[in-house]
Amino acid sequence: MVEALGQGRFAVVDTARIRDPGSGIRHSRAGSPGAPSVVEGTPGTEIRQLQLAYAVRAPGGVWVFIDGRTFVVESDAREGGDRVHRTDDQVALSAPMPATVIAVKVARGQDVAAGDLLVLLEAMKMEVPIKAPRAARVKAIACREGELVQPGVPLLELE
Amino acid sequence: MGRVTQILIANRGEIAVRVIRACRELGIPSVAVFSHADARSPHVLLADKAVHIGPAPAAASYLSMSAVLAAARHSGADAIHPGYGFLSENAAFARACEAAGITFIGPPAGVIERLGSKVAARTLAQRTGVPVVPGATPADQTNEAIAAAARTVGFPLLLKPSAGGGGIGMKTIRDERALVAGIDQARREAIAAFGDGTLYVERLIERPRHVEIQVLADEHGNVVHLFERECSIQRRHQKVVEESPSTALTPDLRRRMGEAAVTLAKAASYRNAGTFEFLLDGRGDAASFYFLEVNTRLQVEHPVTEQVTSVDLVRAQIAIARGEPLPWTQEALTQRGHAIEVRVYAEDPSAHDLPQAGPLLLYREPSMPGIRIDSGVVEGGDIGVHYDPLVSKLIASGATREAARRRAVEALRQYPVLGIRTNIAFLIELLEHPKFISGDIDTGFLDSEGGALRARSAPAPPPAAVEIAQALTAAASIETGSAAGAAAAARSDPWLTLRGFRG
Repeated sequence: MVEALGQGRFAVVDTARIRDPGSGIRHSRAGSPGAPSVVEGTPGTEIRQLQLAYAVRAPGGVWVFIDGRTFVVESDAREGGDRVHRTDDQVALSAPMPATVIAVKVARGQDVAAGDLLVLLEAMKMEVPIKAPRAARVKAIACREGELVQPGVPLLELE
Repeated sequence: MGRVTQILIANRGEIAVRVIRACRELGIPSVAVFSHADARSPHVLLADKAVHIGPAPAAASYLSMSAVLAAARHSGADAIHPGYGFLSENAAFARACEAAGITFIGPPAGVIERLGSKVAARTLAQRTGVPVVPGATPADQTNEAIAAAARTVGFPLLLKPSAGGGGIGMKTIRDERALVAGIDQARREAIAAFGDGTLYVERLIERPRHVEIQVLADEHGNVVHLFERECSIQRRHQKVVEESPSTALTPDLRRRMGEAAVTLAKAASYRNAGTFEFLLDGRGDAASFYFLEVNTRLQVEHPVTEQVTSVDLVRAQIAIARGEPLPWTQEALTQRGHAIEVRVYAEDPSAHDLPQAGPLLLYREPSMPGIRIDSGVVEGGDIGVHYDPLVSKLIASGATREAARRRAVEALRQYPVLGIRTNIAFLIELLEHPKFISGDIDTGFLDSEGGALRARSAPAPPPAAVEIAQALTAAASIETGSAAGAAAAARSDPWLTLRGFRG
């Protein structure tokens, strides 16, 4: 059970009512080492274990922070309808982050082998090579040197 | 002796905030500079004045000497603190400041020039009897001459930008086969990062520790060291965790390394704050150390030294720039307790640590005893593509190393950053690694353990995370009135519809 506390804060609530000595919450907090805690007490006592979490919605999914870990729970395709299923090719041939194109190493119509350098990007002072995922012919080039490219936007197309 | 009545901070992000805070404490008016991308950044809002110096790309703003000097002139600043990176180790900039009658808060241009050249720094070390690692900057910078120099030095080796720092553009070359492509790439990255493609070739000592000595020197000939920082936890030669003291140093080794740094600083007529980097081979009294280079600026990891020595390094820099003598002798300085700094980067540990750019949709810094956070970002801001992906530095202090380590872990567990991927979970795993706990670390630690740490830092979402995500998605759908959302809401907990959503 989760409870919204406002400003992106959530309480993850685990409640149990003690029936017999030795029963109670058997719960291990995400990310914390050690055995699950077992709470003992007077039968009938309600025990709550609460954990603070943080979450926000963003395009593509919900970001959740619990105990030092961040999870991006992707939107369900049935509900969002905007989730894009990409093939490996498309992922590999787009920039992984906003970046500047330093060099386009191939020309349209050129045959490339798997692993060939296609485009060289630069982001945050680092070079990021975009290599051919398989042997193919270059169908189209969708970027040019010096251009600032966004993640997910194809840099070039392979046949 | 320099005039320091108004300081322009020629930097951005956490270090600009750090220096502006020091100015405010000292009652010295501060001037921020900012690019188009940083118009409402924390450093701009914190300073007494702010001057726009150009478009987002650093080359046209934070790296533009003319733009920064014009900003100083127009704002009436008579001193410039360069922070780290950007123009901080640019001798031409320090000289231009001197020519414009502006106090450069750092070493004199001539010192930056001599020590910024790794060759001159090495020669100085050799002359003063401080051991160095085999290497050379070929006078002839053609591929053939660099390759020849590489063969003389021997594999494995490093290709480094001669003008560089911070590990940017460094390439490890293990054999002849990787050499030619490596030279081209190293040169391109050197030009892109520093505007200078001159390369330095150096023998790679495998599995050393990286231990550096902080030095302060005034213009009256007083030089002290503020002990060591252990910076062995690096990846791609970029530091991730720094601490003081180092678990590898004995009192005698510490004394010898400190004396070597002070000897070098005196021989170089050093002034202001500087860091003398060493490679340490082995540990304890039997270890050998090799002088690596001098960073003629304030370091990213300077808070570690501040926490264990109680010396405010930025205030010390300003005092030295004003011509004041150092207020302590070497004997008066002590290392007390332990401090560990971790660098929180916007990067994706599950995708080769690729830097991330994006919005900080939710950003809450933990606050607890023994924790210091140096940051230059706020919730609602973003991490841009144009600059370093450093989000913040979290520095934990404690009476013992273990106390500091546990504090760092606890603080990271309460440090939510959402909207952009960070290395926070990775840092927790790192700090909990048995080898880190025992202090058995070297510069190869992340190469050998990083993969396992990355895997452990990215588990599948627990049921609670999925439950929160479903609740949030359903709540948003209700707001927008979508049918699918209503269906989702019907499947979720009644608390949402009963109590409304305030997230």
